[in-house]
This record gives sequence, C-alpha cells and structure tokens, in this order.
Amino acid sequence: MSDPFASSSPRLPWLAVEVDHRFQRGSPGFHLQLAFAAHAPRTVIFGPSGSGKSSLLRAIAGLLQPDAGRIQLHGETVWQRAHGSGGGIPVEKRRVGLVMQNPAVFPHLTAARNVAFALRKIPSPAKKEQVGRLLQIVGAESLANRWPRELSGGQLQRVAIARTLAAQPSVLLLDEPFAALDAESRQQLSQNLHRWASEHSVPVLTVTHNLEEAFSSGDEILAIKDGRITAQGKPHEVLAEERDQLLRAMGALLIR
Amino acid sequence: MDITALLLTFRLALVTTVILLLIAVPLAYWLAFTASRFKTLVQAVCALPIVLPPTVLGFYLLVGLGPRTAFGRGITHLLGHPLAFTFTGLIVGSVIYSLPFAVQPLTAGFAAVDRSMLEAAATLGSGRVDRILRVILPLSRGSLLTAGVLSFAHTVGEFGVVLMIGGNLPGATQTLSIALYDQVQDFQYAQANRTALFLLAICLIALTLLYSQRSTRGRNDLV
Repeated sequence: MSDPFASSSPRLPWLAVEVDHRFQRGSPGFHLQLAFAAHAPRTVIFGPSGSGKSSLLRAIAGLLQPDAGRIQLHGETVWQRAHGSGGGIPVEKRRVGLVMQNPAVFPHLTAARNVAFALRKIPSPAKKEQVGRLLQIVGAESLANRWPRELSGGQLQRVAIARTLAAQPSVLLLDEPFAALDAESRQQLSQNLHRWASEHSVPVLTVTHNLEEAFSSGDEILAIKDGRITAQGKPHEVLAEERDQLLRAMGALLIR
Repeated sequence: MDITALLLTFRLALVTTVILLLIAVPLAYWLAFTASRFKTLVQAVCALPIVLPPTVLGFYLLVGLGPRTAFGRGITHLLGHPLAFTFTGLIVGSVIYSLPFAVQPLTAGFAAVDRSMLEAAATLGSGRVDRILRVILPLSRGSLLTAGVLSFAHTVGEFGVVLMIGGNLPGATQTLSIALYDQVQDFQYAQANRTALFLLAICLIALTLLYSQRSTRGRNDLV
C-alpha cells in the first residue's frame, strides 16, 4: 500500500490515516490495519458490518487510541503513536464532527438545547437563530422544544446531526447516520447535509454497508473488509461487483 | 430542646455537606472512570468510616491534629490555636466520617452515565470539566441528592467522632446527639425524649425523601 502521507499527490488530502490496532475484547483477534488518504470531499467507506468501519471513525475522532499509527486532518497531524508511546490532540480539540449510529442525544436537554450544546460562547438571540437554522437543515424545526424521550429513532438522529453541525467541525464523519430513517427522508436529509458541507467546505466521510447510500454520497469509495482496505476508487469501479450482484438479485426477483 | 445545640448541629451538617460534595465530586469522577491500580485501595480507604468505630477515627484525629504530630503542630501554628475541641475540628472530623456517604452514591451515579453521551460531548468540543458540569452532574442528579441528604443526615447523627475530637462544649462543639447524652446523664428524660424524637424525625424525613425520589425512577438502592 502506498504511503498516505507522501506528498506525491498534487493536492493535500483532507484526511490521511495509518492505523494498526488489535482488539483484545469483543471480536477475538480482530486486527485493524489500514492506510489511506482521502482527497474527495465526499468519501465513503463501504464494507460489511464488523469490518472495522466504526472503529476507524472512532480512531479519527480520537475516541479510540490505536496501538500505532498516524492521523492527519487537513495536513495537520492530530495523532501519532509508535508502539508503546502515546499522544495527540484530545477529542474535544480535534473539531471532528462524528455522528454515530447511536445518536446519544442528551436526555436532560430539549432538542433545541442539544443543538445549542456546542454554541455556549454565542449570545442568546444569535444562538436561537442558529439553532433554528440547523434544525431546519435536518428537517426537525418542529421538534425544538421536545424532550429526547418523546422522539423516535429517526428524529433523534436528525437532532444529533444538527448538534454536530453546530460545533462547526472541520470534517464530518458519519457512521450509518440515516439507518433509522425511511428511504425518502434519508435522501432528503443526505442532500441537505451534503449541501451544508459543501457550503462550509467541510469534507464528509460516510461509513455505510448500504450500496445505494455508497453510490449517492461518495465521489470516492474505500472498500473495507476484515480491517483492511481492499479497494479505493470511483464508485462505479470499486462497487461494480456489488452493483452487478444487486442487479442480478433484483432481476431474479422480477423474473420470478 | 437545646436551641444552641440544634443550631450548631445544623450549621455543622450544612458546612460538612457542602465541603463533602466539593470533595466527593472529583473523587467520585476519578473512581468511576480511572483504570489506575490504586483504585481499589482508594475505594477501601473511602469506605473505611462505614465500618471503623467512630472512636478510632476520633482518636487518630485527636492525636493527628494535636501537638504530638508535626502536622498537628503545623495546623496549630497556622491557625493560632489547636483544631481539637473547636468547631473547625468538628468539621474536619465530620467530613472524613461522612465521606463514604457522599462518595459512594456519586461514584455509582457517575459510572452509570452512558459513555456514548460523554463521547458525544467530547466530539462537540466539551472538555473534561465541562463534561462533568454539563453532562455527568445533570445526568446523575439523583445521586447528587442522595449524596447530599445522606451526608447531612449522617453528620446530624454522628456521636463518637464528635465526642472524641470536639469534646462537649456547649455553643462550640456540643451537637444534639451529645446534648441528648448529657440530658440522659442528668436524668432529664422528658428533655432527652424531645431531643431523641427530633433526631429520629430528621433521619426519617431524610430517608423518606430519598426513597420517594428513587422509587419514581424504579430504583430502590440507596448507596
């Protein structure tokens, strides 16, 4: 695999990763070992569940400290570790917007106050306006004063996304963020989110095992399996086999 | 009932509770989240006042804060008077004696906070102290109330430590429980009964308050 940190490419990758991590707990002997550089503002990591996608995102965000490796965001090394040593920019200073499968909306705050969580330093009227705008982007403006316990899984995910955007991240990492939504709202939300990202020049890394989502939200695809990158390239190149499989399956369904 | 002793008891319990919560919150945070190998030792030390005879604690405090130790001499020099047989000395003793009643509910409460909430807060730019103030404490309000009420009630009810380190000086170190002891010694049973009933009522009210608050959440464990 080529060195993701090598400066041979014409422009700086917004994300360069080299990670080597063995998991003792959970899946026994699972070994996450991969290196890649992401240039495309909309990059997708595509792979089956259990392939290490979520762990990779957690490592980029700083929630997981791998055994060894190096992570660069926008050319800045945010974490580096040789075997045994440690260090790096702590999670709260990395400005990584992470939307997890579990939305983790704070149960003691209303939807609006959840979104405002990262807006502490902004004066009240501006804050309110900002929260309203963000809730509108995720299609949850009517939920502002609702408590998390009153919201459905899909609504919680919307609130979690708005809350993440409020923190003005320098990159967005989405871990199956639309899993709890139906196809139609998924598409709408995904569109709005990517529009926000391109308006703010924030690159997006989406993790998914959904072929349709991979096609619709990736200019570049990284295929991942058993903790390794197996392919990297344009969607129609990397996902050709999967797409053919899907088409054959659909064809078989139609014929039957 | 002895109003001076009553006011003194409440002042002691209130000051002790405030100090205890200030100490116990960071301590419980450390206990709930640390992977240090000293954790079990610190836990054991914090729980010691539950099983230790109060007189043992009182004895060591009396000796430790007195002129026999360098620490005691230092304190005496610093304050201009020894800590033993003063209200401040009582506070020191009470804080140590009631420590487990603040630390244990808080540790349990903090440990029960969903880790994904803390991870989400961190990715939103919230540092450690901010996470404690804006996520952990609000999500363990029940434990905070438990810690406060138990610390208060336990301090109101202490006897051995207070007697050992504070003696029995009306207006300075004589709490209600010691006043009760005095009243019985003097055969003033009617007065003793009023004091005892009052102490009983305080403790019953405190525990009823706690259990009612807990049962609405389906949890009945106090500590």
